[in-house]
Amino acid sequence: MSVQSGPQWKARSEMKVLNTDVPRVDGPAKVSGRAKYAHDIRLPGMLHARLLLCPHPAADVELLNVEPAKRIAGVVTAAELADRPDRTIFLGQPLAVVAAETPEAAEDGLRAIEVRYREGGWAVTPEQAAAEDAPRISRRQPNALTERETGNQGRTERALEGADATIDETYVVPVQHHCCLETHGMVVDFDGERARVWPSTQAVTGSRGEVAQALGIPADRVEIVCDYMGGGFGSKFSIGPEGLAACQLATELRRPIHLMLTRTDEFLMGGNRSGGRQRMRAGASLDGKLVALDAEVWRHGGIGRGSNPGQPYIYKAETDSMRIGSVRTNTDANRAMRAPGHPQASFAIESAMDELAYAIGMDPLDFRMRNLEDPVYHRQLNRVADEIGWYDHPNRETPGIPTGGTNVGIGFGVSTWGGGGRRVCVVTVRIDPDGSVTSSAGSQDLGTGVRTYVGSIVAEELGLAVSQVTGRVGHSEYGPANASGGSTTTASLAPAVKDAAHNARVAFSERLAEWLECGPGDVVFANGEVRSGTNERMKLTWSEACSILGSDPIVATGEWQSHLQTSGIHGAQAVKVEVDTETGGLRLVKMVCIQDCGLPLNRMALRSQINGGMIEAIGYGLFEERIIDPWLGVALNANFDDYKLPGSTEMPELVAIIDDDDERQQVIGMAEATIIPGQSAIANAVANACGVRIRSLPLTADKVLMGIQEKA
Amino acid sequence: MLLPATLEEAVTALDKESTEPANEQKTRILAGGQDLLPELKDHLAEPETVVNVKGVAELGTDVRRSGDGFEIGALATIAALARNADVPAVLSEAAASIASPQVRTLATVAGNLCQRPRCWYYRSEHTVCLKKGGDECFAYAGLNKYNAILGGGPSYIVHPSDLAPALVALDAEVVTDRRTIAIGDFFTLPSESDPTRENVLGPDEIIREVAFTVAPGWRSVYVKFKERESFDFALSAVALALRLDGDEIAEARLVLGGVAPTPWRCRSTEELLRGRKIDDALAHEAGEDALGGAEPLEFNGYKIPLTKALIAKALRKLS
Repeated sequence: MSVQSGPQWKARSEMKVLNTDVPRVDGPAKVSGRAKYAHDIRLPGMLHARLLLCPHPAADVELLNVEPAKRIAGVVTAAELADRPDRTIFLGQPLAVVAAETPEAAEDGLRAIEVRYREGGWAVTPEQAAAEDAPRISRRQPNALTERETGNQGRTERALEGADATIDETYVVPVQHHCCLETHGMVVDFDGERARVWPSTQAVTGSRGEVAQALGIPADRVEIVCDYMGGGFGSKFSIGPEGLAACQLATELRRPIHLMLTRTDEFLMGGNRSGGRQRMRAGASLDGKLVALDAEVWRHGGIGRGSNPGQPYIYKAETDSMRIGSVRTNTDANRAMRAPGHPQASFAIESAMDELAYAIGMDPLDFRMRNLEDPVYHRQLNRVADEIGWYDHPNRETPGIPTGGTNVGIGFGVSTWGGGGRRVCVVTVRIDPDGSVTSSAGSQDLGTGVRTYVGSIVAEELGLAVSQVTGRVGHSEYGPANASGGSTTTASLAPAVKDAAHNARVAFSERLAEWLECGPGDVVFANGEVRSGTNERMKLTWSEACSILGSDPIVATGEWQSHLQTSGIHGAQAVKVEVDTETGGLRLVKMVCIQDCGLPLNRMALRSQINGGMIEAIGYGLFEERIIDPWLGVALNANFDDYKLPGSTEMPELVAIIDDDDERQQVIGMAEATIIPGQSAIANAVANACGVRIRSLPLTADKVLMGIQEKA
Repeated sequence: MLLPATLEEAVTALDKESTEPANEQKTRILAGGQDLLPELKDHLAEPETVVNVKGVAELGTDVRRSGDGFEIGALATIAALARNADVPAVLSEAAASIASPQVRTLATVAGNLCQRPRCWYYRSEHTVCLKKGGDECFAYAGLNKYNAILGGGPSYIVHPSDLAPALVALDAEVVTDRRTIAIGDFFTLPSESDPTRENVLGPDEIIREVAFTVAPGWRSVYVKFKERESFDFALSAVALALRLDGDEIAEARLVLGGVAPTPWRCRSTEELLRGRKIDDALAHEAGEDALGGAEPLEFNGYKIPLTKALIAKALRKLS
């Protein structure tokens, strides 16, 4: 390859670093506790801040007097939030903030605030909100509003009448939480002129502008640092009311402010994955075609819109129609949560597909393939079916019936996602005379391994070991970068890293050509050496080569290159579950996920992301659900005792397969796709095991057991 | 926080005149802290004085063999009990089923028996329910999936302890600074006494140890069903102890956990089991009998078939 040509990814067979297993470079710092997250930042003179949240779903704030808080020992100030409303519209809406020398004093300060609410009419469940006499949640629109209609419902009705088998079922998904182990918030150090800010964020670049606006200073005086962040999952794109409150305090006090949400605050105001209700009327022909689907899709996103990409999602129906809308409630707005809307859509369509397959006595795997046009899914479904043991499984065309003992079932689901990038990132690669190499990007590592590939792409380019290149991320001074959402980071950032690495190599080649007595295009970087491609005796060790730079290091930048990335991915999952038909208890035995992703940058990180996707789906499938008492308007499980996340003993054997049949030589972001179908596959496996179809998540033992009782 | 060195000092430090709802007592005992600290953080308890009894000389930390039985110090940890291979299986299995390794390492036996309910209406800072001196049990007509199907009213909590049903099945005694109480008399139903309390301990009374004898020929088992296996309270649990004569049941003690405001002893079922061989028919009969009086609320009816299943599993394990 000539150095004059633009950057190209090497053939996979030639790669020494990329497409191999590279342990994440910050792993040791994270597991040893040396990694400093926003929560861990401690500065001289720093104050701890807490927010006062409205305990009612909606209320008029008749009185709010922060003065008593200021009299609490250790409290430095208490203030109403700059934009606090007179009337609150969601449970947990923040109203005031207290700053104190200790977190405990801040808590005491909150409790001393004098506040009187007049509870207004409210609705916390979609049923309450949709009732005729329900209080209006938004002035702009009715609580339940159909926003979009697709297809011709009349035609679908007629097609349904002609179908050999039909179902008419409603599938319900609860509101789930992101459960970031690091709650939302930031530390702000503002001296009146300049600010250094440590947010827990998915958007270092975006935070800079938001903070600058909040502090009323130009963005070039704001430095954002996010070396490590403890989970975002789509909930941390904005600095939020908590960030604005921290900036408000920092402006008033000119002391460093540490404002991180408490766990309860996090549950109430830190965002959520919208719930939903989907009525699916679907029909199939005996030869296994999905001949008609009419879907009525309601999103439950609190005061937000909720998300759902619509039906029939990935599948193809001969005739389909849909009405999609939202039901608003007095709870906080949903936010993006990994693969926004897709897991919800998946649960309804994958359940319906299974129900239809059994209704016509067809293997649900075959039924899926007949209604999936893209051959990649056929390949992937066959692979996971093989891996999970489907072809040796007894209940292939008919679900089992409760035996009184343990029943085993298998279920499937598929996923899709974009994962392409866009032009934002500027990356800098620097080669110093002492041999050190840095690769710097103002991106953030949400835990996906970004810091590792920011270095390893450069190591591959320069023929170095991963340990010889320092990847630096999480700092606004490192240049603009995209917000990490929608699995767009890899496809937005990796091409810019590659471009910078390529430019650095070209620049270095030009400097070395004379020493190696060859043309710049003949300089070869490999195995920690630099040599002439035309005379193999002409070579330099890496440190010899760098020493030639004298006092003039190589500094090269790189930008996004469209041709180095693409979009469009596929995945398939299979689950094997044991149902204790006496108790309704479920034990996941095995879960398999295959995922394509274009060119794999780091196989270990990819498998880790795939495992993470399956684990998130296990939580969604088996346990997670926000519960608010509909009569009292009180959050009942805004804590990690009652909001149950899966633990180590809930984990099945997890099999993560990178789909190496995908030969595209471009990078694609893929993590979110792996979250989409797991819970659907679990529900299908339970139905396959014992014939009990649970149409609402999570699949808790009480539901399964009552289903078994009804069958008996 | 006070750090008494003797039991007398500890008792003296507690407010014996307290008449407030239990969570509002002005003095509270701290041992392992696994229930009190969360209550403090959630502002359910706001005592003026915390009496840390970890340094009280008379409160043992051992699980000791004593004659034909065991004496378990009030400060023995759940972890110590879980790894003790000598105590009856029902007790070590119950201990091992509790919470997480971290909690078991700190939580004490006496603390486990005295822990407050997990009902989410009780645990919410924003409700004043019957348990907190209010007028109403919100669970009764509320979201009561985790609440009582037996012995409920006017409060419908379930007793959260796993050791409690196991110790009832062992016919244990609770020894306090001033008296010895048969464990069957230790826990109180909300209908029979102050509904803000779960046991007969006075406000200044301290558990010293728990003791029981082990007669020859008894076998026992604890079967607990958790919604989340890795860390959870019981949706339902069965503590079963049997003395078998050949393959016939000579004596039985059957106690349910997670379904009533106290550990729920099933005396009529124990009678039914006596003289019978363990088989599917007996398991079925026992479940029907034990749950015969169950009165499910709107969302907890599943606990009836679940508990019947656990009784059958317990019997099978001892057959």
